[in-house]
Amino acid sequence: MTTTTTTADELLVDTARKVFIETCTFEVVEAAERDGWAASVWEAVAGVGLPWVGVPEAVGGVGGTLADALAVLRLAGQHSAPIPLAETGLLAGWLLASAGLPVGQGPATVVPGSARDSLSLGGGRLTGTAFGVPWASAVERIVLLVEDGGRWKVGSIAAVDAEVERSLNLAGEPRDTITLDGVPVELAPTDVDAAAFERRGALTRVVLMAGALDAMSRLTLDYTAGREQFGRPVARFQLVQEHLVHCAQDAALVGIAADAASRAAVLGDASFEIAAAKALASRAATTATRAAHQAHGAMGMTREYALHHLSRRLWAWRSEFGDEHRWNNEVGTAAIAAGADELYPLVANGSDRRTRT
Amino acid sequence: MPLGFELVELTADERALQQEVREFLARELPRGSFEPGLGMDNPSDRGFSKRLAERGWVGMAIPKRYGGHERGAVYRFIVVEELLRWGAPIHHHWTADRQSAQVILKFGTEEQKQRFIPAICAGELGFSIGLSEPDAGSDLAAIKTRAVKVDGGWQVNGTKVWTTGAHETDWFIMLCRTSDAEDRHDGLSQLLVDLHSPGVQINAIPFLDGGHHFNEVVLTDVFVPDDLLVGEEGRGWLQTGSELSFERGGPDRLLSPWLLVEEFLREHEGTPLGERATATLGWAVARFWGIRQLSIAVNRMIDQGRAPAAESALVKDMATRFEQDVIEAVRQLVEVSPSLESGSLFERLLARSVLAGPSYTIRGGTTEVLVGVVSKGLR
Repeated sequence: MTTTTTTADELLVDTARKVFIETCTFEVVEAAERDGWAASVWEAVAGVGLPWVGVPEAVGGVGGTLADALAVLRLAGQHSAPIPLAETGLLAGWLLASAGLPVGQGPATVVPGSARDSLSLGGGRLTGTAFGVPWASAVERIVLLVEDGGRWKVGSIAAVDAEVERSLNLAGEPRDTITLDGVPVELAPTDVDAAAFERRGALTRVVLMAGALDAMSRLTLDYTAGREQFGRPVARFQLVQEHLVHCAQDAALVGIAADAASRAAVLGDASFEIAAAKALASRAATTATRAAHQAHGAMGMTREYALHHLSRRLWAWRSEFGDEHRWNNEVGTAAIAAGADELYPLVANGSDRRTRT
Repeated sequence: MPLGFELVELTADERALQQEVREFLARELPRGSFEPGLGMDNPSDRGFSKRLAERGWVGMAIPKRYGGHERGAVYRFIVVEELLRWGAPIHHHWTADRQSAQVILKFGTEEQKQRFIPAICAGELGFSIGLSEPDAGSDLAAIKTRAVKVDGGWQVNGTKVWTTGAHETDWFIMLCRTSDAEDRHDGLSQLLVDLHSPGVQINAIPFLDGGHHFNEVVLTDVFVPDDLLVGEEGRGWLQTGSELSFERGGPDRLLSPWLLVEEFLREHEGTPLGERATATLGWAVARFWGIRQLSIAVNRMIDQGRAPAAESALVKDMATRFEQDVIEAVRQLVEVSPSLESGSLFERLLARSVLAGPSYTIRGGTTEVLVGVVSKGLR
């Protein structure tokens, strides 16, 4: 990728916003959870090419920048879009492009990798089990990063070749178990390693969470402005206002952290920014949902009201691609490596502090 | 989210400035050569303020015709964050540079601008804040200090409290009642008061650690000439409101315990920290990084001519609660009984921050007041 545009294309973002508003209604998000797939959302989103934004045209993407792709993903998080958007382009598409492998037409996913996974490669075939594979039951292609003969390779398999056992995360999004029995795999070397892949995954969750927190803050403000008790809107009570402010603070903090991490990722080394942003986002998922639920009272605990579309996603995403403890450790390790004299420059200038000054 | 925080990207010039300030501090004020302060709690040093002014690092957001440098709030942010995190003695010019000069610039007469602002930009004139009173803290409109019109000026009587640094600074901008109005927010005015005027008595209010920061300023028949009324008579409340964005949105609300973290790391350099300390350090560094981005965004809004009252209150509340959390988190990483007399800088900073920490969420607007200000902005 040669482009380093740090701001997203406005026309594209407007188009994406319209598509998500039209398709991701409360009923559709509910039905997707029940059915395991939302064909109407996928078709509308894929129809305008959104899953492949940021994937080079040369490998079958639609072009555009990483900044574009992340801006679209943020809207998907805002609208609880029940589709593998992060997985298809930003993860699978990115891995495939890094290895020069073709990106297919349909939805795709990646194997996130867990300590329990037992996949092994032999003779160009994959055997074993992998857990927590997003939307494996609904995609056409499953992409993974494998070590082969001491170097990293991207592998791509047809999803129909995998035995899929459905499983759900807290938000009811498919996080399936796949079992492979000598499945043929297309392999090509890549410069992506396991750490870079995990960071990329964490970046997608940060951006989704920034969108969800923003939506949750607005929803909570609207609800408390309309709900009356003791003869006045509950938003007038100081103790309720404290919840509203805390929720808005978390949304603002994760929003700007997602902006900073996205920008750093576009420019190059974003290891510090992504680690810090995921640590903040995962923590905010706890504190902001607590505040939002408290401000909503019993209504927020019901299936019929939309808060749970956001809060359950935040609880699920805070653990995916590393929770706050894992990323706090990463940031702490970077801080120790920087040392006391370089600690503030790390905070003020980030990953690239030496080359950028 | 109804509030608009936009990521600030530093320009090449701004990054070069950052480097310049770092090199200046390493050269002019090397670590170990002075007792560093915790953020804006640091000694007053007129000589150091003048040296900074000579570099153009006072009055950065002030027009050139008044002796400033026309560089804006973000430029100022970059310089002062380096000074604060270094623990440099910037107290003398701090308030004047942060807000008093801005108030005079925005509301003052041409004569007042000529008289005060160049001297502030030269690092010479130090200011305090004349807002709180014994019966008017968070409820500022309850102030009782009164200025009565007399021939050629005003005669002022009343008492101001918690006036930080008044025993060392030169002037303060004082909010007082100049008339009685049906709405108690009307009838308030701001006056520039020379702290060396006859009738001004400054009494120390010792801080809980025994230090002298706070003062009681008693004004008895103090004469303030007409030409020292700031802005419009009776509009003091609104003018004060705009002053608070400058007071609340800056890096001084985030960096108070910075050196505590840095010194913790310095004391433990070369020894393995263990997972708990590493995670705690990471937690703190990630939050310093994130909240700093919000704080710098507030300053960009100021440069764009906006009045980010709700945004600055949102950041101040979050940042100061975090400051207190940092002190507690670091304290639990070490097995020491903090003492102001310790031979270790880290332990002295720990002792000072434990004692000063509660003030972070009080000064510049209590958490409770800020929640109200942010809520209004969220509607």
